[in-house]
Amino acid sequence: MSALSLQSLRARLLWWLLAVIVLAAVVQTAIVYRTALAEADDIFDYQMQQMATSLRSGLPVGTAQEGRDSTDAEEENDDFIVQVWAADGSPVFRSATQTTLPRPTVAGYSSVRMHDTTYRVFSLQTRSSLIEVAQDVSVRREMAGTLALRAVGPIAVMAPLLVLIVGWVVSQSLAPLSRMRRQIAAREVEDLSPVSEVGLPSEIQPLVHELNLLFDRVGQAFQAQQHFVADAAHELRSPLAAVRLQAEGLQRAAGEEARAIAAARLFAGVDRSTRLIEQLLVLARQEASATSQKRPQLVGLADMARLAVADVVPAAQARGIDVGVGQADQTTVQGHPEALRILMRNLLENAIKYTPCGGRVDVEILVRDGGLVLCVEDSGAGIPPADRGRVLDRFYRVSGSQTSGSGLGLAIVKAIVELHRASITLDASPRLGGLRVAVRFPVDPQGT
Amino acid sequence: MRLLLVEDDTMIGESVQDLLRAEHYAVDWVQDGENAETALHTQTYDLVLLDLGLPRRDGMAVLRGIRARKERVPVLIATARDSVDQRIQGLDAGADDYVLKPYDLNELLARIRALLRRAAGRAEPVYEHNGVCINPATREVRVSERPVSLSSREWAVLEPLLARPGAVLSRAQLEEKLYGWGDEISSNAVEVYIHGLRKKLGAQLIQNVRGVGYVVPKA
Repeated sequence: MSALSLQSLRARLLWWLLAVIVLAAVVQTAIVYRTALAEADDIFDYQMQQMATSLRSGLPVGTAQEGRDSTDAEEENDDFIVQVWAADGSPVFRSATQTTLPRPTVAGYSSVRMHDTTYRVFSLQTRSSLIEVAQDVSVRREMAGTLALRAVGPIAVMAPLLVLIVGWVVSQSLAPLSRMRRQIAAREVEDLSPVSEVGLPSEIQPLVHELNLLFDRVGQAFQAQQHFVADAAHELRSPLAAVRLQAEGLQRAAGEEARAIAAARLFAGVDRSTRLIEQLLVLARQEASATSQKRPQLVGLADMARLAVADVVPAAQARGIDVGVGQADQTTVQGHPEALRILMRNLLENAIKYTPCGGRVDVEILVRDGGLVLCVEDSGAGIPPADRGRVLDRFYRVSGSQTSGSGLGLAIVKAIVELHRASITLDASPRLGGLRVAVRFPVDPQGT
Repeated sequence: MRLLLVEDDTMIGESVQDLLRAEHYAVDWVQDGENAETALHTQTYDLVLLDLGLPRRDGMAVLRGIRARKERVPVLIATARDSVDQRIQGLDAGADDYVLKPYDLNELLARIRALLRRAAGRAEPVYEHNGVCINPATREVRVSERPVSLSSREWAVLEPLLARPGAVLSRAQLEEKLYGWGDEISSNAVEVYIHGLRKKLGAQLIQNVRGVGYVVPKA
């Protein structure tokens, strides 16, 4: 059926409805026709038999009164044809002049085909005569047809009405949908506010609800992206502004000493810009590798921790900070070695940066509750609980901190943690008094 | 001229402070919004150079605070926040000008001069009086068409007087314009510079109002 290809719900519904109505009408007509035909057969057969039986006692003068009960009296073929033969086979009586039926060969009911018409015949053999009553079958068919048509009539009248009503109901039911369509069509790209769920049919409401949830998620991602762009603009411009001013300072510096100071500042500014760009690249790479599915391998966490500590020893020594590995259970995780090294190094660098001179930074790797925990603790000022949730965001710096950094270190840590399906918690270190960062790796099925 | 520099970035802050000092401005530098508020409460400034992204209190909040107190000090926002909306917000909140980082230092200085000039109620950049012609932008001084050169400290004393001709400034006020926090102040520095200026520009330009201070006559 061509309706299958229709995309419109309404058109599809109406087409199917129409098809079902037509089918029902056809089926009903057929059933009514067949029933009526069977009943007509019974009635007329009985009538023919009655007529034949009544003729047995003697021939009436006329046969005109028979068959008058037929609905269509004008038509000649409504009538029964009666023929009577004497015992010797000579015709005694013939009711119809035009039609002459052959002498029957069997007693009882039979069908005779003659002059392109079929006759239903009943013959009765008496001692003195052979009585034959016949009727054109088309009379019965016509009657059944009329009855069937009468039964179908109401359906034929109702069908268009039904289609109209259903069409109207469907239109009414779909009205909220087209209202929603108009709402969405009129929207700006940035407009991700939820669509009204009021008055929607319960079949569509869940879809719209899910759509609204999606809008919400997309909106959040969109906002995060916008914040990132705004932050990045700020964070990229500041080091450049510094470098530019430092270059101006160098250009304007009078005297050897002033020039040396200005040059040192300029180099520091360039180093800072370089560091920021490196961090941005690391972050981008970590986020990209989360999607690129590079195969993880077994990494020894303790060895990795020692490497990371070695990376930051110069920075720690410059500030007189005691950095070291404490308890280090020999464990492995499925992971990316370079990413894990960056993770540890960033945590250590962060700890060293925010720990006052002469402080202490410890790394520990512990097997706890079947999982692996990497702990970095310091004796610094810690992070106020209110800020702990946000320090993992890009470019976020704890307010009031005097140390300048890219603000990306912990964002990179977060990306690597997510890459390893690990979790990270920040709290106060009970042992050293500063910040404790705990990275919890999931239980590794192949772990030793 | 005394400026308040509000800038949280250490590298930018120290560079701007040095460069402004080299331009004979007295500069106080604070690195967060709260310290900016404190400085604004304790000291009168000729101009505030304000960054927006500040720790502890946002630059916009500092700016609104200034305008809520009906202080008329010119505020020049120098920030990396670049969207048009943010610029409009900044200007509507009461900023007099807006420069985007990274900016050209000469442009920044020109904008500072323009704001100082406007704050003094002048639009014309050159001051002329009695044969003395002074251009603060180029620091060109001519006395009877003859160029005269001034030292940076002499400039620092002359500029606030020139900014509002006819207004009398006390010795203490001039000292404030001359020194930022942490600068060594010598007791008779202002008199020494005034003396030097009178020698170069003629005694008529800077007049002494006894017991009150110094004044430059209206052009």
